[in-house]
Amino acid sequence: MLIAMNVLETLWTKIKQALICLRPGRVTLPYPFAPHDPEEGFRGLPRLNVDKCIGCGGCANVCPARLIRIVDKDQTTRVLVFLYERCTFCGRCAEVCPEGAIEMSREYELSTDDVHDDMIGEYHIFMGPCERCGRCYRPPSVLDKLQQPGFRSDCIDRKCPPEGCRIVLDEDTDDRAEAPTQTASR
Amino acid sequence: MSRHVELDEDRAVTAEQITDSMRRRLGDGLLDSRPAGPTRLYLTVDPAKIVDAADELFNGLGARFVISAGTDERENRGGFRVSHFFSFDDEDLYVALHALVPEDDPRIDSITPIIPGANWAEREIQDLLGVTAEGHPDPRRLVLPDDWPADVYPLRCDFDTRDRPASAEGMAPPMKNRPEGAVMVPVGPYFPTQHEPEAFAVFVEGEVVVDSDYRGFYNHRGIEKLGCADLTYNQIPFIAERICGICGFVHSCAYCMAVENAAGIEVPRRAQYIRTIFLELERLHSHLLWTGVAAHIIGFDTLFMQTWRMREPVMWLCEQLTGNRKTYGMNIVGGVRRDLPADAHEKIEKVIADVEREWSALTDAVPGDRTLIARLEDVGTLTPDQVRQTCCLGPTARGSGVAIDLRIDHPYAAYGELEMEKCVEDGCDTLARTLVRLAETPVAIDIIRQCLAKMPDGEIQATIDEEIPPGLEGIGAVEAPRGESFHWVLTGENNRPKRWRVRAPSYQNLQAIGPMIHGDVLADVPIDIGSIDPCYSCTDRMTVIDRRSGQMRVMTREEILDRR
Ligand code: SF4
Ligand code: SF4
Repeated sequence: MLIAMNVLETLWTKIKQALICLRPGRVTLPYPFAPHDPEEGFRGLPRLNVDKCIGCGGCANVCPARLIRIVDKDQTTRVLVFLYERCTFCGRCAEVCPEGAIEMSREYELSTDDVHDDMIGEYHIFMGPCERCGRCYRPPSVLDKLQQPGFRSDCIDRKCPPEGCRIVLDEDTDDRAEAPTQTASR
Repeated sequence: MSRHVELDEDRAVTAEQITDSMRRRLGDGLLDSRPAGPTRLYLTVDPAKIVDAADELFNGLGARFVISAGTDERENRGGFRVSHFFSFDDEDLYVALHALVPEDDPRIDSITPIIPGANWAEREIQDLLGVTAEGHPDPRRLVLPDDWPADVYPLRCDFDTRDRPASAEGMAPPMKNRPEGAVMVPVGPYFPTQHEPEAFAVFVEGEVVVDSDYRGFYNHRGIEKLGCADLTYNQIPFIAERICGICGFVHSCAYCMAVENAAGIEVPRRAQYIRTIFLELERLHSHLLWTGVAAHIIGFDTLFMQTWRMREPVMWLCEQLTGNRKTYGMNIVGGVRRDLPADAHEKIEKVIADVEREWSALTDAVPGDRTLIARLEDVGTLTPDQVRQTCCLGPTARGSGVAIDLRIDHPYAAYGELEMEKCVEDGCDTLARTLVRLAETPVAIDIIRQCLAKMPDGEIQATIDEEIPPGLEGIGAVEAPRGESFHWVLTGENNRPKRWRVRAPSYQNLQAIGPMIHGDVLADVPIDIGSIDPCYSCTDRMTVIDRRSGQMRVMTREEILDRR
């Protein structure tokens, strides 16, 4: 008798379970055979607009994955190298950029079967040279907009007075050709 | 857990009483007692008295052991700081026990003989900092990889995050001896029902488990080291969020709370509510995930598919609200980064109402399933005393009648202003742990509703206009879906912590697997392990692995054959 009850009870729950499965119908999306757009506000691969960027280095300073390397190629060209393979898509770079030069795109299909596609983004920024130090951008300094007191990194520092508008990314290696150190460590 | 220890009425513990009884027990051994607000107490003791002090807290006053941490303070204080953390859950009080061990004699007495749950914590300090736990019953290597050389301690300040020591031979810790007459069955390093690498050696006699051994920590990413050496305060939350692949938000939240606690930063109420909503959304999708995984382990794939289907809209909701389905990237020291959009309330309500409806249909259909119950009942027994000794947490503890739930015991974020009850079962088995999670799911939905109803307006980030001074300490603890996630931060120079210690709940819960599977049949071992909802990457968050040499070498075929 008890066994019969148990069997019946289990059978009844199985019927209920079957209903749970049948009700929603098919839910699997046809992806990747049909595109699947991410939701509004999605944080995808960060893309930099070279026309807006002023090369201040704020993004490199806050990036938690430390993937943005800044190299001064010559007096007027600053190169921002994004080692995208490390990106966590946090959007901090876009958030602190004083010029809104970085946009979190909606790109998320980043895997590739091309071994040469090394996920590096290189952006060449034209730097209007400063008369005094030869390597700066126009005043007024955007560092004022960027600065979050108490949360600056130790290696980002303003050396010149505001009118001098000079940013030095690393005090020890203040050398024209030298890449600053507070960037991706490779 | 003091409720499980007979305490005299007049010994209900306050910070002053703890200090008094420590002074009575230790005399001059108590070097300093510094309360920080009503919920934190930092004690400094003579390292020679550390066992007495831990005994007084754990056995005398009934505290729960949380975790230990080791800090290299040779530069500023001439030694290594060893810290043990305790919690008085009924009194909403965390107590830290610090001792400074001299550089030239880095040894301290082990507390594991009196607190079994400190087993891993002390071995970790030994591995990573080189402070020996004298008298530890099982001092084998725990965290470091099998080819890591002796006398290289990655958590010491003179070890650079970019250092890659050469591979060494013969450093692999020996497995436990096989009991006479038993056969060793390996579960892992790769095992079909475990979605992350870990290795249990299960010793069986016939089908019955008589003993077991564990080797894990294959997923080390050196996060704590990074946090103290390379990152800055506000870079850490995003890295902390990646400690766990399911409940990352609890880690970024607990870290931010620890820094806020240390620096005395007041987080705006709206930010607290937003944090609470996401903590509960995370619990919701985590419990749905677990239910599916547990069902999958015992071969009930229908339930697996259905709970994961129900879970998906929660993930999409989070993507809409935060920009990512899993790593929300919301937390920052002092608050959150994104406000909820104007239509968030309707969106959230719609998703949770759907989940609620489907969940109740499911919980109506499933518990009557005798096959399912038979697989879970009286399996993986864990007594309340074993819970206390191994210091496990979350649904694992609550399934054994030990009612620790930080949301009520140590209210954080907005929980202090919300109504909720702890979900506790006293079956002490896998079924009880399952029922706890089943019951918690609607509670999470209820909490989200309360938050939406009470959501205050205002700022979402505190203004921080002074640098955080070095030398302060703070504790942040969050009730993750798996139990208490505990972060301790000691502030340092250069805009980064001097030490950031993370303890995920699985760290303690995994230590309970031994007693849990003892006496079970082999076929139940996967679901026993699954029943604590283990998260190996959370547990293994710590050391630096050499990518080139850190291959899995733990149990070669030869070794396994050898042991048979
Ligand atoms: S923060 Fe903006 S302006 Fe500054 S370097 Fe980065 S992208 Fe350019
Ligand atoms: S999204 Fe985050 S991880 Fe990626 S580049 Fe920007 S700051 Fe760095």
